[in-house]
Amino acid sequence: MTSIILTSSDGVDLTVERTVAERSVLIKNMLEDLGDSGEAIPIPNVNEAVLKKVIEWCDHHKNDPPTVGDEDDNRRKTTDIDEWDQKFMQVDQEMLFEIILAANYLDIKALLDVGCKTVANMIKGKSPEEIRKTFNIQNDFTPEEEDQIRRENEWAEEYVFSFLPCPY
Amino acid sequence: MSYNPKNLAAPARAGSAEQVESNRSPRPASNEDLAELAKQNVTPFLEKYNPRQFTPLHSAAGTPSGSRPRNASFCYRHQPDSACRRQADEVSMGQLQKELETLPQSDQQGIAHVWSLFSAAPAKQRTLMLQGILAQCCFPQLSFISASVRELIRIDFLTALPPELSFKILQYLDTASLCRAAQVSHRWRALADDDVVWHRMCEQHIRRKCNKCGWGLPLLDRKRLRESKREIELRATTWGNNQPSTRPGEAVTSESCSVVEPPASGKRKISADEPSSSLSKRHCLTAAHRSEEDDEYFKTRYRPWKDVYRDRFVVGMKWKHRRCAVKVFRGHTDSVMCLQFEDNVLMTGSYDSTVKIWDLDTGEELRTLRGHRAGVRCLQFDDTKLITGSLDHSIRVWNWRTGECISRYNGHTEAVIALHFDATLLASASVDTTVKIWNFKDKSTFILPHPSCVNAVKIDTQSRTVLTACDDGAARLWDLDTKTCIRVFPNHIGAVQQVIALPREIELENHLAECENDHISTSSRDGDAVVNTLSPLLESKSLSVQPSPFGSSFDQDPDRQDPPRYIITSSIDATIRLWETNTGRCLRTFFGHLEGIWALSADTLRIASGGSDRMVKIWDPRIPTCQDTYEGHTAAVNCIGLSDSRFITGGDDYQVRMYDFRA
Repeated sequence: MTSIILTSSDGVDLTVERTVAERSVLIKNMLEDLGDSGEAIPIPNVNEAVLKKVIEWCDHHKNDPPTVGDEDDNRRKTTDIDEWDQKFMQVDQEMLFEIILAANYLDIKALLDVGCKTVANMIKGKSPEEIRKTFNIQNDFTPEEEDQIRRENEWAEEYVFSFLPCPY
Repeated sequence: MSYNPKNLAAPARAGSAEQVESNRSPRPASNEDLAELAKQNVTPFLEKYNPRQFTPLHSAAGTPSGSRPRNASFCYRHQPDSACRRQADEVSMGQLQKELETLPQSDQQGIAHVWSLFSAAPAKQRTLMLQGILAQCCFPQLSFISASVRELIRIDFLTALPPELSFKILQYLDTASLCRAAQVSHRWRALADDDVVWHRMCEQHIRRKCNKCGWGLPLLDRKRLRESKREIELRATTWGNNQPSTRPGEAVTSESCSVVEPPASGKRKISADEPSSSLSKRHCLTAAHRSEEDDEYFKTRYRPWKDVYRDRFVVGMKWKHRRCAVKVFRGHTDSVMCLQFEDNVLMTGSYDSTVKIWDLDTGEELRTLRGHRAGVRCLQFDDTKLITGSLDHSIRVWNWRTGECISRYNGHTEAVIALHFDATLLASASVDTTVKIWNFKDKSTFILPHPSCVNAVKIDTQSRTVLTACDDGAARLWDLDTKTCIRVFPNHIGAVQQVIALPREIELENHLAECENDHISTSSRDGDAVVNTLSPLLESKSLSVQPSPFGSSFDQDPDRQDPPRYIITSSIDATIRLWETNTGRCLRTFFGHLEGIWALSADTLRIASGGSDRMVKIWDPRIPTCQDTYEGHTAAVNCIGLSDSRFITGGDDYQVRMYDFRA
């Protein structure tokens, strides 16, 4: 089993099984293009803590079937996340943020999906004010704007339809 | 300058946790002493490290948002250009300041010293300082930190991430959540309202019935959806690049409407196609699931996708919550037996021997066509002609715009019960136990003989087949090339009144998987039982690997499609059955009507049925139980027309009723 060395942005060398590292399309392509010279591969955009976390994910998922083209996730809009991944994503928002960026940079689609789903689940079902609180966002609408935008979006709230006249 | 933790030890006593909190505290202290102190101690440190670290918030915000680091930022917090800076500073710094002032002067100086040093330090040194502090904390202090930290690490993901990732997150949201996200802030609104998000939402609802909202897109919007796919994909990746530089959180309103117009050339090309595509649409008026909003097309062409989605969503929700307007058309003096509507034109045929043409918008009766000498049992119209079949054994062709009867056909020896035309073929079904196929082009005709009275007939031009429903309890599928019956669907225990094909694009596989083995029909009586053993997985025509389950004449012509995969039948036995044509199996039986079913209609979203029990029932082909029941007629419901936003029924009470779910 061959191993390769990845160097994090803060200069730490991590030894990783090649098959694990190749969950990253970026690294896989690099290894294919350059050949395995045995030299450490610099990952200039990911620090040690995040890289370790990403490798942990890749290791757990190393036997997953390769993901197919992204057209099919049109169908699976679900935000269901498998149990291990849910646990894995129980990190602070900063780490979650960094994992998403790293997954995007390293081109690990499945991890990026899980990261984005995790954020989506933090938004789902919340009121605008609850969303602001969750992500520490300043409400930059004037009260008039806020009222208007609320009315513009009211159609999506199911309760509205129970107020409509019904002939039955 | 030394970083020995021991130097920190003494002043850190009171405020170790606050130091974490003030992680980003480059604000000039209001206290002059503090400022002075900071200047003395920190200046050499400042000079040593990147002075940009100290750019006050406001000037940093002035940098163009387009230059925000994307994948390239390894730590967005320490990028001075980053849009995501912690915003709590103002308030928390004020509070810290107050607390600090309650302490003796010397303590104040010491603490300020520590804070300033920390402020000035680059990432690596900061980490070391924090490690030093943490190492000295006792458990209550660590607990304080751990409680504070979770509260402090809150990131505005949608603003801080590159737009394509923000869109990816938004694409996992449901309708209501997206609309709430649009109310969070200007930035969130610009993202959550964008076409990229709603184009995708619309796309997800094509051909599929969403269990939450239960709607689909009209065909015209689907076309537009396909055409704009490329533009939208491009838009998602370049979003924000063309925007004028704005301060985050300001002037972003303009983004929501002005961003990245799709390339003009693409639009022009599509516009040029419009006339021809709308013309060709006119030729397929007979498609059961056709949208009724041709003119809407041009109006809606460049509407935001969110508006398109909203309109369909509202219609879907009104179906779901049974919120409709009911309009009654009175005028016939006997039972209403057949009807069809397109756009705002409704035509009804009655046992009073007339056909009436109505304006659906005004409810006005536009014209009454007289000529048949007995009740009108069936009718179909397109742009130019109306064809009717009657108890007087005749078929008449009308110019419905002038009211003139153009021709009359006397090919049947008994009442004409049903007819259907498409392209150059007309099929008529009669009590004389035949279905007659009329070819307009070469004037030829031929007969499909049945054991008993035939009640319904439907041509499928793409596969050159015809479906028939017969009093003997069976529906049949006929090959028009060989003029033979290629499949029998025999299981009803009463006369089959209606047979229709479900639209080809409907997808039932996943929903029917669990009931695959229910209701397997006995092999058909016509000796074609052998095809029932073919794999049910045979979805579309296999490429010469396997023979077509519909017979060799389907193998010879590569352009010939297989017949529609699913058909439904209704019978006076009060059931509706769903069949798979390639295996001949009955996949599902819908129970719910109390008496015979006379009327049946379906599109990709629902099945509508009406019968002697005076009820109209709405079904989801994917779900075995009745979804809704509408009452209103005081006698049997004889006929029903269905579109995505309304249905219209005619009954033995001489009434025509429209149930309108439009927004």
